[in-house]
Amino acid sequence: MSITPLKAFTEHDNASLTDDKKEQKYVHDVYQAIAPHFSQTRYKPWPVIEQFLKSLDIGSIGADIGCGNGKYLGVNKNVYMVGSDRSSKLIEISVSRGHEGIICDALNLPYRSECFDFVISIAVIHHFTTFERRLAAIKELFRIARPRSYVLIYVWALEQSNEARRKFDKEQQDVFVPWVIPADKNNQDRKEIIYNRYYHLFRKGELDELIESTGVAQIVKTDYDKDNC
Amino acid sequence: MRLIVHNMLQCHVKGCDSNNFPLQLSDVELEIHEIEYNHEFLQSLLTKLDWKAFVATAEQIGITSLPQTFPEEIDEDFLKKLHRILFETHIVEGKMICSNCSHEYPIRDGIPNMLLNEEELE
Repeated sequence: MSITPLKAFTEHDNASLTDDKKEQKYVHDVYQAIAPHFSQTRYKPWPVIEQFLKSLDIGSIGADIGCGNGKYLGVNKNVYMVGSDRSSKLIEISVSRGHEGIICDALNLPYRSECFDFVISIAVIHHFTTFERRLAAIKELFRIARPRSYVLIYVWALEQSNEARRKFDKEQQDVFVPWVIPADKNNQDRKEIIYNRYYHLFRKGELDELIESTGVAQIVKTDYDKDNC
Repeated sequence: MRLIVHNMLQCHVKGCDSNNFPLQLSDVELEIHEIEYNHEFLQSLLTKLDWKAFVATAEQIGITSLPQTFPEEIDEDFLKKLHRILFETHIVEGKMICSNCSHEYPIRDGIPNMLLNEEELE
């Protein structure tokens, strides 16, 4: 199936919505609506993240910011992880699986400064609509991490490999990526539903620039994986 | 929500940046769910706790037997007690109140809701 993302946002959105309201409409509201279907498709941990989590010292305590259905929270039983997400529906799914979860916004985390041994944020920062908001979200990740600890950040890439399921127009970084809930076979009346999720697709090097501009972190490893998960 | 998580939470209302930790527990309902005890894991994790806040919070849910300062020598019985309090005790309903600004964060079905209204945000 080929999916062509649309340019974000509509003219009406730009004229009528502030940045946070755009995120409300094209990120938060969408995840609330698609949570059960989204969760069914998100069960396999990404190998590189699984590897990182398994490398941590026993008794480490960590935060997963934007944990979704909590697929990374149980990867390593020897570390303690708390997941948070802006979507209460996704947190309910995560907690029902026995994970620890809280509802909060990544721009304003309710955690003490420097209290975590590690922090991960996987496929989250690309949902913020402006440079300033992406920077603020990354600063929050660094604030809650202990000095000299690891923070693992993944975002979607603009440039895609030839095998990738999605192809993006290289000129268009701010896009709507449709989420399609298929028509229910058991119910003739129910039609396919398409939700537009907002993404800021990162150019090569853009995440590094963002991290460096916080002035508080050192990049130890960077990678530009061309297949978004 | 377990007490280990509570130990990491602070009030984050705009301008509320002193005396905002720990949040005071109120009207709580508790559940106990037993899980496997892991000595090494627990011992390492204890060093991450803010002990004073943990003891004060445990008192709010009726656990008054913890020493005010972290003991120099800890035995297996003590660790098992901490395992019970930190990992097997769940706050399923209740609220957390900030000592400084009195903001209330609800806990429902074991999930704290830390979202703020627009006027409380930075």
